Amino acid sequence: MSLDPVLVMKGQDPMPNTCPPASNGDSKASWEDSKDIHENTAATKKPKSTNLYTCDVEVDMKCHFMKGPVRRARKVEGGIFFPKPENAVTIAVSSRVLFRTEKEQIVFEQQGIEEYLRYQVEHENEPFAPGPAFPFVKALETVNTRLRELYPESEELFDIVLVTYNHAHVGVRLINTINYHNLFIERFCMTGGTSPIGYLKAWHTNLYLSADTEKVQEALAEGIAAATMFMSDKQIEVSETQLRVAFDGDAVLFSDESERIFKAHGLDKFFEHERENENTLLDHGPLKSFLELLGKLQKKFYAKGHRLDCPIRTYLVTARSAASSGIRALKTLRAWGLETDEALFLAGAPKGPMLEKIRPHIYFDDQMFHVEGAAEMGAIAAHVPYGIAQKYPHKKSTNTSK
Amino acid sequence: MAVSHLFLQNCTGPLMIALQYNDLFDLSISTSTNTDALPKGRAFTFIKAVQTVNERLVDQNKTESLLFEVILIAKECSEEIKMKIVESVKHYGLEIGKFYFCKKEELINTLQSNKVKLFISTDRDDVYKALHTGIPAALLYDQVDHHVLNQLKVIFSGEVIGFSEDSLDSLSDFGFGETQIETFKAAKICIKEFAVLIGQMRRRFGHENSPLCTCVLTTWGSRNICATAIKTLREWGLDVDEVYCLAGAPCSPILAVVKPHILWDSGLHNMRDSSAPS
Repeated sequence: MSLDPVLVMKGQDPMPNTCPPASNGDSKASWEDSKDIHENTAATKKPKSTNLYTCDVEVDMKCHFMKGPVRRARKVEGGIFFPKPENAVTIAVSSRVLFRTEKEQIVFEQQGIEEYLRYQVEHENEPFAPGPAFPFVKALETVNTRLRELYPESEELFDIVLVTYNHAHVGVRLINTINYHNLFIERFCMTGGTSPIGYLKAWHTNLYLSADTEKVQEALAEGIAAATMFMSDKQIEVSETQLRVAFDGDAVLFSDESERIFKAHGLDKFFEHERENENTLLDHGPLKSFLELLGKLQKKFYAKGHRLDCPIRTYLVTARSAASSGIRALKTLRAWGLETDEALFLAGAPKGPMLEKIRPHIYFDDQMFHVEGAAEMGAIAAHVPYGIAQKYPHKKSTNTSK
Repeated sequence: MAVSHLFLQNCTGPLMIALQYNDLFDLSISTSTNTDALPKGRAFTFIKAVQTVNERLVDQNKTESLLFEVILIAKECSEEIKMKIVESVKHYGLEIGKFYFCKKEELINTLQSNKVKLFISTDRDDVYKALHTGIPAALLYDQVDHHVLNQLKVIFSGEVIGFSEDSLDSLSDFGFGETQIETFKAAKICIKEFAVLIGQMRRRFGHENSPLCTCVLTTWGSRNICATAIKTLREWGLDVDEVYCLAGAPCSPILAVVKPHILWDSGLHNMRDSSAPS
């Protein structure tokens, strides 16, 4: 496996930072005052309706007068307050998908935990390279910046939490890495070996990304949208100004009922079934709620006249065909009050080339075959281990057209 | 009480923790007959966990001297209750080193004269009062169910440890009142010795299957404060197992999953969702 860390997002950070990032985690005393305090959203002195924003503004003013504009830039740009998890769209990512930790994984597997921890501490000041979820997280931050500009007092933002069952020994290295890459992640849970699933619920997680399929399946079983991500050698460039999320249809947005028919009885039966049930809604799949949340945020941009340059774009990429089986999918989405900006019905054609055109920051599919195909083209794909496809993986020789 | 500059390399002798009887037993439920033991209170799982640690320490080294010792303090008790307390302790097989029956105002003196290494209570005011007199004190987290884990969990405050001495006075800019800053400063002085001792104890066990689990929790501080706390504890000889950084998110949902026994307060008084329910 090549460890070539090709940085996908090039160019400037959305928030210019004139102070050099502290690469070893040491904050200079002058930074600490404004950067190091997070206003508690539950503080009693604020009236309930406005949460903490008035306080936030006061703090900003004081910082500005006392210490200078640099810190103000960091605090004021939309306000670096962090929303209450239940009000935000909370994305939990594990350290292994946010960053590249293959070398360390090998140390752990081959030499055991003590050596692994010693190695991490030894390399504490070496930041990790970006992992498969990195461009997605960066894009979420871009959307947040735009949201804060338009709705400075709203808590309806993306909230990124690092949830890992890594040991605290790795903590300093992870924090150093976050500093190095200038990510706005201030929330994390390093559970030191115990399962992170309990924490996902405590954080009101709306989407969980991990490298561990078992953990992802546990999350799905708890009703949390989740997917596994893998590092690929090839990485195509993705947009820095627009978050693009692509979804497969069956067993991702929708339930796997139709796929079951297809797997059990073949293509013709599938078509027949879809035709007969055209007006029956499909049941929902694990990622439906996430699409819904994206739609809610999109509407906020539309409301302020940003339909054409909305920084969120969603895609349906399905093997269903537009003329027949695709109709049921569209009708279902419409009935749910959801829509994707683009719907691509491939009628069985390979998804790779289409994904290469779209260049999503993340593409969710329930079939490893498609995830691998996407990765070969350099598209960022995530596997949703849900439904019948997990028991009966795709056989390359069969006709895939639906 | 000069505890701040003692780096006890190899402490011998017990790690004394003081507890109040109304935390150990639940006095809100009235017992009908005189022969019933007092019902289990909020500190029950704590004391069982402490006993587990001691057992494992002795398993490894029969002559181990760095063990926990719990002393029980009871303020303003009738003779009847005193008897009940002693009997109940025996009934549950709890290892209580000493009993102190005293008046309310004698609490602090009792703690000081016994040189307790930690006073824990569900009463936040008691904790703050103790801190102000230089006694290390932390909150006893209310473990909602009495399911006993074979592990004692201690949470250190990332802010108390990670926030530098120089920045302490700027806390007023962020909503800390005078008293709160004093409490914070007092905690900062007291926490070190306790952390050093826990560190020594923790090192008796490996990374896996340890009966003692240590955590850093940063509730309102930044990630860099958190990183400083982890590194500082490491310098003091304690490698923590778990780290949580909340950046203002409500504590209670997270604490409900972590289920600590001992929780060092992070100082922001106006946090509605915090550890021990009032």
